[in-house]
Amino acid sequence: MPEWRIPFFLIFRHLRRGSKWTLALIIFLMAIAFVNMVFASSLFNGIIATSNANVIETYAGNITIYPNAKDDFIARTDKELTKIRAVDGVKAATAHYQLPAASMKFKNIKSTFRLIAIDPSNEIQVTNISQKLISGRYLEANDSDGILLGAQVTGNEEAATRSFKGIKVGDIVKVTLQNNTEKNFIVRGIFYSNYIEADYQTFTTIKAMQDVAPYLRNQASSILVTVDTPGTEPKVIDGLKARGVNGDIHPWQDSAGLMKDVTKSFVSIDVILSLVATLIAAVTIFIVIFVDITDKRSQIGIMRALGVRPYLIHAVYVLQSVVYSVAGVLLGAAMFFGLLVPYFVSHPFALPMGNAHLVVNVGNFVLRAETILWVAIFSGLIPAVMVTRINMLDEIRGK
Amino acid sequence: MSLEPIISVTDLYKTYVTDEVKVEALKGVCLDIARGDFFIITGRNGSGKSTLLHQLGLLDRPTSGALILNGQDVNTMSEKERAAIRVRELGYIFQEYALMAELTALENVMLPAMMTRPMAECRASAKDFLERVGVSHRMYNLPRQCSGGEQQKIAIARSLVNGPAVIFADEPTANLDSIAAQEIMKLFRSLNEDESHTIVMITHEQDETTYASKLLNLADGQVESNA
Repeated sequence: MPEWRIPFFLIFRHLRRGSKWTLALIIFLMAIAFVNMVFASSLFNGIIATSNANVIETYAGNITIYPNAKDDFIARTDKELTKIRAVDGVKAATAHYQLPAASMKFKNIKSTFRLIAIDPSNEIQVTNISQKLISGRYLEANDSDGILLGAQVTGNEEAATRSFKGIKVGDIVKVTLQNNTEKNFIVRGIFYSNYIEADYQTFTTIKAMQDVAPYLRNQASSILVTVDTPGTEPKVIDGLKARGVNGDIHPWQDSAGLMKDVTKSFVSIDVILSLVATLIAAVTIFIVIFVDITDKRSQIGIMRALGVRPYLIHAVYVLQSVVYSVAGVLLGAAMFFGLLVPYFVSHPFALPMGNAHLVVNVGNFVLRAETILWVAIFSGLIPAVMVTRINMLDEIRGK
Repeated sequence: MSLEPIISVTDLYKTYVTDEVKVEALKGVCLDIARGDFFIITGRNGSGKSTLLHQLGLLDRPTSGALILNGQDVNTMSEKERAAIRVRELGYIFQEYALMAELTALENVMLPAMMTRPMAECRASAKDFLERVGVSHRMYNLPRQCSGGEQQKIAIARSLVNGPAVIFADEPTANLDSIAAQEIMKLFRSLNEDESHTIVMITHEQDETTYASKLLNLADGQVESNA
């Protein structure tokens, strides 16, 4: 089959001796088409990843254990914590004791927010709220009247209604529980996690809780668990159940709430945008190859006159398209990873679910690269087949 | 010279239909071309010269009639078989040289040979033919770096590289000055007389008809004279 050398021979010469500007422009167009396909998907991945990380790191841990349906609390919390920490794959665990706060009052503003008592030393091993302070300091275990407020509570973010607008570190918040017990708490710090659900929370210590609701001691409303390796939640849940942990055990996804629906919508939007991007890429590549082939009709006619069979001419243009698309994908990947990803790491998109940057899913990335390749192959093949069906003499004359 | 016909044409018709207008370019042409002939076709513009050459060179199919090439009825052959014959048995020289712009002279000449032969052999053969037509000094030049005469010589070398039975030349000197044209015609004579190549050529130039061993004059798609 010596004739199969011809397409490679011609392509190599074309790349060496054809117009470098035209070649650069075609490859650049391919790269842009590829980046266009990857960008939206990576942005959605980034938003989803940020949202998921926020749910885990500020709100739910990797696993959340709630009381069983028939119980109001997780009884003997300390013993349960010991059992949980002994399970393979568990990194840390912390108990949340939700105070039945009827109301909170700052100056004349009366409102209601979740007030959760925590052991600060356990909490920092599970959530990263301690790293999200925008003023003041974190709670200490022996603090008997301190309170931490989320940014939505303080009115820093406009979403909250009846927020404590203007509250600052050192101000007093009066908490009234359902049994009418009252206690003044001093604002120790304000945190802003950029995850709206977490920023509606307020935290105090177990020591402070004991003043107003001593009956809650060892009666957690939930236990948050982090795992050694993300993704191993189902296996760890099996371990917790096998160990006889008392409670209703859920992976973090069940706490995602609204974000679950948003994620589903993003996946649908991503599919639609990917189809549109593929169509744009296909049309762009088709036009580029078609113009290139039309420009060379006379040469194609000469090749046919010399006895070069049409399938070899098709192979020339398919090969050319493969070269263009592979170079385009490589350039696009270099632009994406070299420019766009670092840029959006330093300038992330500020969204209600957190700051999002571009996150690449390797499978999606490869799929899109393959799509560009196949689109290019068909965009090269179709005009080549069309041209080789024209009368050979018309081709030679460039008609 | 042998009288054995390498090409035999009987009652050849070619009709083009463009925008529902029928044009009869060839009307019952009959001719024989013997092996070793220097066969020149002349005629006025629109007389059907190029159409006839394209049918003889298997670049187009006639509407009707018989065309026997080297003892084979080529009209009944598939396009694949005709392409194989074009590679092995026929050589072409076009008025506009028709060289591949991105290939050097050497590569242009190698191209038809690459269909059938090993690379090293193609290269050696192409070098040899470029030398024989007198443009070996342009071996590594692109067509645009060569004069018109040199480009036509490269095209001649390309037409020879597969050792064709017949060389077809469509007004090969039309774009050349008189000196270059004369060189090309001398080259054709040498190929015909010294190497016994059968040449079928179209020309408008009266003085070039003196090179012919056979001269066919076409008028309005019909043979006016065949001597």
